[in-house]
Amino acid sequence: MSRPNPALFALYRRALVLYPAHVRTRNQAQMLQTVRDADAERSYSAARFWLYLFTDLLQSVAQENLLMVRSQFSARPIFFHAVILGIILTGMGGAASLVFQQMLRRGANQPQIQMAETGSSALSTGSDPHSLIPASLIDVAQSLEPFAVFYSDSGAPVTSSGYLDDAIPVPPTGVFAFVRNRGEDRITWQPQPGVRIAAVIQRVGGSHPGFILAGRSLRVVEEQEDLFWKMVFGAWLALVVLLMVGATLLARAQIAPTAVARAQG
Amino acid sequence: MASSPRTLDPESASPEAAHLPLSAAVLAILLALSGGEKHGYAIMKQAALPDGGCVKLGPGTLYGTLDRLIRDSLVEETGFTDDARRRYYRLTNLGHRVLAAETARLSAALGVARPRTALRGARA
Repeated sequence: MSRPNPALFALYRRALVLYPAHVRTRNQAQMLQTVRDADAERSYSAARFWLYLFTDLLQSVAQENLLMVRSQFSARPIFFHAVILGIILTGMGGAASLVFQQMLRRGANQPQIQMAETGSSALSTGSDPHSLIPASLIDVAQSLEPFAVFYSDSGAPVTSSGYLDDAIPVPPTGVFAFVRNRGEDRITWQPQPGVRIAAVIQRVGGSHPGFILAGRSLRVVEEQEDLFWKMVFGAWLALVVLLMVGATLLARAQIAPTAVARAQG
Repeated sequence: MASSPRTLDPESASPEAAHLPLSAAVLAILLALSGGEKHGYAIMKQAALPDGGCVKLGPGTLYGTLDRLIRDSLVEETGFTDDARRRYYRLTNLGHRVLAAETARLSAALGVARPRTALRGARA
């Protein structure tokens, strides 16, 4: 009598651990013997034989685990309802958190929107860029102050109140192309690793055509976002614990009267 | 072990009807055991034959289904074994009745289907 391929047989035997314990304990020896018997009498290729066995194994593992979960839930419906409630609350809380996070991020565009609008309007009506945006030395990497930059029509920096490593930071050229078509863009800009800017860019017309960018570091906002997500996670964890404790107490309260009635009976 | 959909009419719900219709795997196992007690591999071989339903059962599907048939009292272990790795199974009375009911159900359906398919085949 031939023996099954040792490596594949060992892999199959190890894979039986995927079954629920009660199924494995009851059937493991029989299943392995059936594989030996089937291999000894097989009339087709070993590859097809093992492919079929492993496909069957995966399908039945999924089915047996699903049946086990279903029977556990139907045996303890309170836990099932607690899980459903948990999923619903997680979905609702997650959606609300995303909306709040977006509001927080959009709030970081102020006062840049106002600065860009005022600057664009002034430059379009003939103001000099150098007098409107006096060169100062705001370090974009460190400061939380808002800054403004004026770029020529070709995207070359003309004057700026903010500097990064002693140079005027320049956004990617695609941003200018977008603003040229749409008039305005609001972006999160990372001019160098660790420096993230909430930037508003507007098109400037008139005698000084070009672009005005107003930006501000996102450091504080992102710290707030980090803190916010930590708080959300903490609240979610507390909710899960609360639901599980509540479900356990309810389950016990249901069992207790039954036990009392049985004792009295 | 029955597969959905089960009968919805409580008036007609006999113990057998509650298990109908049977899945292909369950029918093949009951059919194989209707010929007498067998161990798992013998059931697998019988199910794969034309008179066993041509159902290819793998060990995982076979023993999982057998467990549920035992739970539903359609099949039982004989208690006889020549080897701990080869347990023998047989149909219970309920198992025999369920198999008979399923056979009657399928026969009735086939009785309707055969003339229709023959007519369609003749037209084609």
